[in-house]
Amino acid sequence: MQYAPTVNAMIKYTLIPLLPFLAFIINILLGRNFIRDKAHWVAIPAVFGSFVLAVSAFIDVANGQVINIDVYSWIVSGDFNVSFGFLIDQLSAIMLLVVTSISTLIFIYSVGYMHGDPGYYRFFAYLSLFVFSMLILVMANNFLLLYFGWEAVGLCSYFLIGFWFHKKSAADAGKKAFIVNRFGDFGFGLGVILIFLTLGSLDYMEVFNRAGGIAGQTINILGTDFDLITVICLLLFCGAVGKSAQLPLHVWLPDAMEGPTPVSALIHAATMVTAGVFMVARTSPLFNLSATAMNTVAVVGGLTAIFAATIALVQNDIKRVIAYSTVSQLGYMFLALGVGAYSAGIFHLYTHAYFKALLFLGSGSVIHALGDEQDMRNMGGLKKFMPQTYKVFIIATLSITGIPFLAGFFSKDEILWRVYQQGDLGKFLWFLGTAAALLTAFYSWRLIYMTFHGKFRGTDEQEHHLHESPPVITVPLWFLAVGAVAAGWVGIPPILMEHGDRIGEFLAPVLGHAQGHGSHAEEYFVIAASIFVAVAGWLIAHRMYIKKPEIPAQLGAKYQPIHKLLYNKYWIDELYSKVFVQPTLKLADKVILGFDTIVIEGIVNGIPALIDSFSQGLRRIQTGLISNYGLVMTLGALCMLIGYMVFSG
Amino acid sequence: MDAGTTLTIMDIRPFVPELTLLCAGLILILLDLIVKRKEIVAAVGVAGTIAALYATYKLFGYAQPQYAFFDMFVLDGYSSFFKLIFYLNLILTICISVKFMEIEKASCGEYYSLLIFATSGMMIMASAADLIVLYLGLELMALSTYILAGLTRKRHRSNEAALKYFFLGAFSSGFLLYGISLTFGLTGTTNIRDIAHAIYALNVMDSPILYLGMIFIVVAFGFKIALAPFHMWAPDVYEGAPTSITAFMSVGPKAAGFAVLGRVLFDAFGGMQVQWTSVLIPMAVLTMALGSIIALSQTNIKRMLAYSSIAHAGYMLLGVIAGTPEGLTSTANYLMIYTFMNIGAFAIVIMLRREGFRGENIEDFKGLSKSHPLAAALMLIFMFSLTGIPPTAGFVGKFYVFMELINSGYTYLAVIAVVFSAISAFFYLRIVMYMYMKDPGEEIVITTSPSMSIALAITCVMVLILGVFPSFLLNLVRYSILG
Amino acid sequence: MTVHQLIFIYFAIAMTGISLLVVTRRNPVHSVLFMLVLFVHIAALYLFLNAEFLAAVQIIVYAGAIMVLFLFVIMLLNLRREETEEKFHRQWPVSAGAVAVLAVFFIMIVSKIVVLPALGEYSIDAIRSEGSIMTVGKVLFTKYLLPFEIASIILLVAIIGAIVLAKKSTNS
Repeated sequence: MQYAPTVNAMIKYTLIPLLPFLAFIINILLGRNFIRDKAHWVAIPAVFGSFVLAVSAFIDVANGQVINIDVYSWIVSGDFNVSFGFLIDQLSAIMLLVVTSISTLIFIYSVGYMHGDPGYYRFFAYLSLFVFSMLILVMANNFLLLYFGWEAVGLCSYFLIGFWFHKKSAADAGKKAFIVNRFGDFGFGLGVILIFLTLGSLDYMEVFNRAGGIAGQTINILGTDFDLITVICLLLFCGAVGKSAQLPLHVWLPDAMEGPTPVSALIHAATMVTAGVFMVARTSPLFNLSATAMNTVAVVGGLTAIFAATIALVQNDIKRVIAYSTVSQLGYMFLALGVGAYSAGIFHLYTHAYFKALLFLGSGSVIHALGDEQDMRNMGGLKKFMPQTYKVFIIATLSITGIPFLAGFFSKDEILWRVYQQGDLGKFLWFLGTAAALLTAFYSWRLIYMTFHGKFRGTDEQEHHLHESPPVITVPLWFLAVGAVAAGWVGIPPILMEHGDRIGEFLAPVLGHAQGHGSHAEEYFVIAASIFVAVAGWLIAHRMYIKKPEIPAQLGAKYQPIHKLLYNKYWIDELYSKVFVQPTLKLADKVILGFDTIVIEGIVNGIPALIDSFSQGLRRIQTGLISNYGLVMTLGALCMLIGYMVFSG
Repeated sequence: MDAGTTLTIMDIRPFVPELTLLCAGLILILLDLIVKRKEIVAAVGVAGTIAALYATYKLFGYAQPQYAFFDMFVLDGYSSFFKLIFYLNLILTICISVKFMEIEKASCGEYYSLLIFATSGMMIMASAADLIVLYLGLELMALSTYILAGLTRKRHRSNEAALKYFFLGAFSSGFLLYGISLTFGLTGTTNIRDIAHAIYALNVMDSPILYLGMIFIVVAFGFKIALAPFHMWAPDVYEGAPTSITAFMSVGPKAAGFAVLGRVLFDAFGGMQVQWTSVLIPMAVLTMALGSIIALSQTNIKRMLAYSSIAHAGYMLLGVIAGTPEGLTSTANYLMIYTFMNIGAFAIVIMLRREGFRGENIEDFKGLSKSHPLAAALMLIFMFSLTGIPPTAGFVGKFYVFMELINSGYTYLAVIAVVFSAISAFFYLRIVMYMYMKDPGEEIVITTSPSMSIALAITCVMVLILGVFPSFLLNLVRYSILG
Repeated sequence: MTVHQLIFIYFAIAMTGISLLVVTRRNPVHSVLFMLVLFVHIAALYLFLNAEFLAAVQIIVYAGAIMVLFLFVIMLLNLRREETEEKFHRQWPVSAGAVAVLAVFFIMIVSKIVVLPALGEYSIDAIRSEGSIMTVGKVLFTKYLLPFEIASIILLVAIIGAIVLAKKSTNS
């Protein structure tokens, strides 16, 4: 159902991404000399304006006005049409709300967090540019614009991770994120090209309508026939794996924590990393046609969920724990997508955005108070110094661990129940998911206990300066806390409340209903199991870090190989370094020595040499002598004549 | 008003834009005697150009082509669009010249009137409906440009450039006249439309003599456009001429050359498309190849931009090769975009010029981003656009030409063009690398003036706007040429 | 072969030969003098085509005014170096080859001409009845008015150019 939008509506939808873009332009042009530390007066109203418009757009969609319109045709040539167009349906409306609301809160938070930073205006400029790119990504109605947004958010992420570029680790992390994402984006780009080649269009609706027509077609790659749709979906999923930090391309996200904490919260928890989830949901009509691709998505998601959770168990850097937690939660979302429960995936994306942003911003508040200390071993006992931060942290943790009636409980439970319904593979993945939930509960409470309980283990000077963060930081935290509690109330399982799954119903026109059957008894069992693991993880953490604090060390000593394995993140970074990075560097060295001197210099310096030696041909003609030039002209005319004689016989 | 047999005052009407501009040129000569400050002369020149632009705009509304002076002259959308390019070229050149000519110690009022006369010549070329008028317009343009190239008399290179351009230009005029007379000999007319009729009526499409005439005409136009192998003069002359004139020359005569090339090949030799396409294809490939490859080894930025402009002429020619009105449209579109990005790039080169420092070596751009970030950013935009990186206008220009080429079935040519376009990225991005990745050598001082800022603002904004919203220009050029 | 054709062939061959002499002479003065001879031949060819006015113009303007100007310039510049320097920068074999090939093609092409264009509106009789000068004048100020006026601008530009390039620099 689509309505012809009025001009006013078009202006409204165009303004949603345009406002942050204007903020970016103003800040980047005038920031350095004029705006300086008042950059937020430009950025916050802009992003808040986007939020207001997004709410209005959401209301339109809720009233049934789905809009798919080309606002502007950039390039039209024959069949090839590159247009700047929006598709505002239930899916993008929810994404718009998530992106703009969280952005607004994080922008406000940044005023306090980035206060006094020399690159203050630059920070807000990049952040605005990011919001613009993310909104374009979400609102696009064709793959090319999606790809544009996709690359643009990647670029902003690169800028912002490396925001403190004078710090080598930050610059390296930025590079790492950029390079790792290249792998995924390469596949994504190929997928988009393949879509255009086989379906002749890049417009979502046309692609989805035509996709059925190519079901069953095969494509020959290196002598083997592959199902075309599966290849397209897997290539698209490649992009999602990179952007959403799934196995095996998850390595960049924990390093990305070198960026300022608001960036981690906005880009690397709530919005950009979920772009992969959004993209798969958006292209669900394609994925639905390929069981192979769906299973791949589910398995990758499930494995990532448990895998990242195990690493998070033993990390000591507060932000890295949360980062691995993000990777793990993103795994849940893909797990849901992979079993066809798209709306459950988006539901979790939406609740996760609130409680994970809250966790990051809370940790930012802690880091800020401790003067950029991130190691939890040097924290402890902050409860009495930072009561506000402590309270919101508890709320976020209750939510993420899946304590009943908080946001995380409903969305995680929805996923686990949908997965449980999918046969044997589903049961296995459900088991992984539930196990990961146990680990989630454990490492989340471990973080709380190490940070806020016990005695302060930092330096005296740090202790002396300990303070609660100013309201500009804590107020946004409380807003997010409300979200972390209440965001899930739109998706209460029908078994607990009739017509409770409002978000699922809302998204159904776009994403359809999840398939699967299960008895009420089974559903109660799944719910009970997840509540059980949430509480169990909590109790274990409590026992290990409050009751008997000596246990962790003992365990670590007893199972040293496992501890080491986890602590070193399965040595995957080292593995990549050995297998990919170092050989590449060595090759690059050789290339610089060999290839560069021979080929590059051959091109840059050698072409004149080539021209020189090429019978002094081209060079000698450029003698500067008029009569030579005249002769060349005549010979040119002569060649045409001879050509004609030969040509016409 | 068509095929008039008598001369009436109404014949003047289509000629009003040219007349306005010529009057402005004459006024400037006189004004130069009264007014001492050259800025005022320049400003009056710009005002005259805007008046001519207004006249063109007012006359543009007539959907039908208007013929005048016994079918010698035609005012139509096609010529009007090219005139728009010439006006822009003229205004931008005047803007970047004012300060520069002072530094060159060659500031004189005649400079501006000669620019205006050269532009009038280009306009007459674009509007010529007869080969005689076309030739005279070409000579008017050429003669003015020869003088302008040699205006900095104290520099030997400038003198050399002017003389070279003059001699080779005269040589190419010989080709043109020879071609015209061969065509006249066979068809008995010099009127472009009548030639086409005569070719059909006499059924001489395959006549070798007509082919010879066509080749000679193409050689002469190829010389003005700087198509290989008739491009040899361009690097020497571009390097030697004052930089503002190089900017002027790299756009104006090229656009005028394309205007007459399109008109003569499509209107007069429309029936010989197979023949002229087979001539132009090797020329285009050779032009792109020489332009892109030799540019790699240049150390002087003006010389590099000369080869770059040769390569761009190759890309533009592809639109003509496509052989459709839409192809010609894409060429005209490219020319307009090229006007902005090329003059913008030259403007930055001019800014580096100051007393006692030429600023023409690529090395001089070292570390420009550190000392003058704005100038470096502008140069970056122009270089990106010349390379054809989206979302700059250069990408749009290339894209449409390649697309029309593919639509006409020359996919292999489009592939070749993309390859050379990729090669050209090397030398454009080398400038960017020098500006952003190298440490500054000696201190860079930039000379700017209000008019220069205006020119830079116009070029930069247009390069970006046309890159993001190309349909404004495309609709205009389509409306002008396709009707 | 008629007398007309014989005369035409003489002039054509003579003009080609004289042109070659113009460009091959080492002494520029000799070149210019040969050019004078060439112009006279061209004028004769005009006469032969019943264009006596053009013949007169050819003699008066080219052989008269322009030739003298050339001689003046050559004498002012005292071009001695040209005599010693090798001509054509050793490219004359290539040029000669190119010219030969062009000539062969040209003869082949011309020999293939089968269709002749329609005659123009000014027949020899019509011109005779009005007189050559009057005909040229009428055409020049009606049909060719625009080219005539453009030519005047070209001359203006040439004058400006000569002055700008030759006048003493006022800035220094």
